[in-house]
Amino acid sequence: MAIVKMNKISAIGLDTVKVELVKELMDLGVVEISSQDSKLTDPDWISYIEKDGNENEVLSFDSKISKTNLVIESLNKFDKTKKPMFITRKSVLSDDFESAMLSRDKIEENVDYILKLNNQLNELSTEENKIVANIISLKPWVSYDIPIELNETKYTSIFIGVVPNVVNIENLKAQVEEKTNRCFVSLLESDKDQNYLSIVSMKSEKEDVYDILKQFGFNAVVFKDLNGTVAENIVEYEKKIKEISEQRKSVEGEISNLVSYQNDIKLYYDYLTIERDKCKVLSNMLKTQKTFYINGWIPERSKEKVENVIQQYECWYEIEETVDGEQYPILLNNNSFAQPFESITELYSLPSSTNIDPTAAMSPFYFMFFGLMLADVGYGLIMAIACFMVLKKFKIEGTLKKMVKMFFYCGLSTAFWGVMFGSYFGDAIPSAAKTFFDADFIIKPLWLNPMKEPMTVLVFSCIFGVVHLFVGMGIQAYMLIRDGKPWSALFDIGFWYGFIIGIGLWLFGNSVITGSGQVGKWMTIIFAAGLVLTQGRSKKNVIGKLIGGVMSLYNITSYLSDILSYSRLLALGLASGVISSVLSILGTMGGDGLLGWIVFIIVMIAGHTFNFAINALGSFVHAARLQYVEFFGKFYEGGGEAFNPLMKKTKYIKIIKEEI
Amino acid sequence: MNILTNGNFLAILGASVAALAGIGSAIGVGIAGQAAAGVVAEDPKKFGSTLILQALPGTQGIYGLLVAFIILNKIGLLSGAMAELSAAQGGFLFAASIPIGIVGIISAIHQGKVAASGIMLVSKRPEEIAKAMVYAAMVETYAVLALLASFLMVNGVTI
Repeated sequence: MAIVKMNKISAIGLDTVKVELVKELMDLGVVEISSQDSKLTDPDWISYIEKDGNENEVLSFDSKISKTNLVIESLNKFDKTKKPMFITRKSVLSDDFESAMLSRDKIEENVDYILKLNNQLNELSTEENKIVANIISLKPWVSYDIPIELNETKYTSIFIGVVPNVVNIENLKAQVEEKTNRCFVSLLESDKDQNYLSIVSMKSEKEDVYDILKQFGFNAVVFKDLNGTVAENIVEYEKKIKEISEQRKSVEGEISNLVSYQNDIKLYYDYLTIERDKCKVLSNMLKTQKTFYINGWIPERSKEKVENVIQQYECWYEIEETVDGEQYPILLNNNSFAQPFESITELYSLPSSTNIDPTAAMSPFYFMFFGLMLADVGYGLIMAIACFMVLKKFKIEGTLKKMVKMFFYCGLSTAFWGVMFGSYFGDAIPSAAKTFFDADFIIKPLWLNPMKEPMTVLVFSCIFGVVHLFVGMGIQAYMLIRDGKPWSALFDIGFWYGFIIGIGLWLFGNSVITGSGQVGKWMTIIFAAGLVLTQGRSKKNVIGKLIGGVMSLYNITSYLSDILSYSRLLALGLASGVISSVLSILGTMGGDGLLGWIVFIIVMIAGHTFNFAINALGSFVHAARLQYVEFFGKFYEGGGEAFNPLMKKTKYIKIIKEEI
Repeated sequence: MNILTNGNFLAILGASVAALAGIGSAIGVGIAGQAAAGVVAEDPKKFGSTLILQALPGTQGIYGLLVAFIILNKIGLLSGAMAELSAAQGGFLFAASIPIGIVGIISAIHQGKVAASGIMLVSKRPEEIAKAMVYAAMVETYAVLALLASFLMVNGVTI
C-alpha cells in the first residue's frame, strides 16, 4: 500500500568521474548504495574486483568531527544568548556554504585554538583541585608555628602526627611523662576523627617516646617539599588559587570572545560530516583499476532523475524491478493526515517489504482512541493550539515534526470527544458558576455523560474495539488473498467474523432488535461448525483435523480478551474526568469571596496541569498499546530496514540550492 | 462491634481500601525512580524519557483515588450531607472497593519493576522507548480491569 516501491540499480563507470558522481547522487539524496561484501567472496567476481574506500581517511574525518563537536559543545556553554526551545537547522545557500568552506583552514585553526584553550581550562581545574586538597590537609596544622622542614635541632627531635579521636590525650601525656619528663606533647587541633599532635623530644629518647605513642595509634605525618610554617604555606596556596582563577577568567574570556565563530564552526562540522559520508560510501563500492561498480536501491518514482545523472557521467547502468518476495529497504509514503502517525509505526518497527504499511489503517483509530481517553475540550484545545504554534514558529523536521503534528490532531480529537461528553476542564465552569455566582450553569454533553452512563460507554468501547480488530483481520485477509490464498482468508478470517458477530447478536442482539438473538444463535452454530471443519485442515488424518478444529474454538478466549482490552477506553476516560471533578470540588472549597477565588485559581492551574500531564501520557501509551498489541497482533510483522539513501545528513544547517 | 454494622462506616472503609492502591504506586514509582536516577547519572539528557517511564506505575494510585472519590461522592460525604446507609449498602460499597485496592497495589509494584527494566533498556537504546512503555502498559491492563470492576460495582449500588 504505502510502502514505496523500490528498484534495484547497478552502475559501472570510469574511475575519473567517481567522485563527481558520488557528489551528484548525494545532492539527489534518493540512492541507497548497499554494501557489496558478498561479491568480494563470489568466485565469479573475485578475480576482477577489489573493495573501494579508504578506512584511514574516514577515521581521520571521524576524529576531526569529534574534535569539532567538543568545541561546539564548549562554545555552547559560553554562549549567553537565549536558546530556542527547539533546535532547528538553518537554511544556507549552497553557494554560500561552498564559499564559507574555502576558508576552512582558518576555521580549523580556530577549532584547534579553542580546543587548546579548553585543555588549558582543564589543566587549571586539575591544578586548583590539587591545591585545594593540599590546603585541606594543612588546615588542622595551622597553629603549628615551627617551620615544617625543621625536624630536628642539635639535641631534639621534632615531629608531628595524628592519633584517633577516641584517645584520651591527658592519658597519653601522662604515660609519656612517666617515661621521660624531657618530652613535650602538645595538642594542636582535634576534629571528629582525629587529634593532631606535635611532639618535641630528646633525640636519644625518640624511639621510646615513639613506642608509647604507637600504643595510642599514633601515625606520623610528613609534608614533603614544603618550607616555612603551615600558615605561611596556606597563604601561599591561597595566593596561587587566586592566580589560577584569574588565569581561568582570562582563558574563559578568550573563549567567550570566540563564541561568534560558533556559526562557522557549525558549518565546518556539517562540511566534515558530508565529506566523511562521501568517503564512507566508497567502501560500499567495488573497483577495478580503471572503473567502479555501484549497486543499490532507488525509489521507483525517482528513476528518471537518477537516470539523468548517471547518463551524464556516461556510466553503464541497469535498473530492475524487485522480484516477488525480495526484501528491500522501506520508505513509507502516506497522505498528509496519516503521515504524522508514521512515527507510531516507526516506534514499533518498520514493516517488512512483503507486509503492508499499517499507518493508513491505524491512524484514524489512534486519533479516535487518544481523544476518547483524554476527552476534554480544554485539554484538547490547549494541546492543539500549542502544537500548532510550535509548527508555525519553528522549522522542525523529521520525527519531531511528525510527533508534534500528530499531537495536534490528537488535540482536536480530544476536544471533539470533550464536546461529546460535555467536559470543559471537567466540570470547572458549572461548579465555578454555582460557587461564585450562585447560578445553575450546566453544559449539556452532546452525546452523554460517561460518569452517569458508564455502561453505555463500555459497550461502545467494546464495539469500537470489535471494529478495530475486524479492520486488522481484514488486512490479514487482504494479504492472504493477495498472496493467492483466498480459501485461507475465508476460513481463517471470514468464519471468525461470522462467529464473533453471531455470538454478539446472540447475547446482546435482542435488546437492540427483537429477534436478532435467534439469528445470532444460528450464525454462531453455523460458523462454529465451519471453524471446526476447517481449522484442522493442516493435520494429516481425520481425527487430527477434527481435534484441531475443535481446539481452534478455544481461540475465542483470545478474541474475548482482545475486545475487553478496549474497556480501557472507558476506564482512562473516567480517570481524567473524575480527577477533574475532584479538582472542581477542591477548588470550590474556599467558598465565595476573594480567598475563594485565589484557592480556585491555584487549584485549577496546578491540578489541571498535573491531570493533563499524567492523562495525556496515559492516553499516548494506551492508544499505542491498543495498536501494537491488539491491532498489529492480527496481521502485522515488522522487521523492515529503513531506506537509508546517500544524502547530506547535516546537523546544523540545511543546504538549499539557489533558485534561478 | 456496633460500628461494623454501621453502613456509613463500611462505606468509608471501602473508600479507604480503594485509596490504598496508592501504596503500590508509591513503591512502583520508587523502584522506577531509583533506576532512572542511575541512568541519568550517566547521561543527564535521558531525564525526559526516564521520567515518562517512571510516571507509568503512578496511575494505580489515581485509580484508587478515583474509586474512593466516587464512593465518597455517592454517600454524600463531600457535599456535607451524608446519607444514612444500611449495613448492607455500606457492605456492598466496601466489597466493591476491594478489586482496585488489592490489584492496584500488586500491579503497581510489578509495573514499577517493568518500568525500571524499561529504563535500563532506554539507557542502552534510547530509540526503543515505545517498546519499554508498552511492556509497562501490559501490566497496567489488570489495574484497568480492576478499576472497571470496582467502578461498575460502586455504580450499581443504589442508595
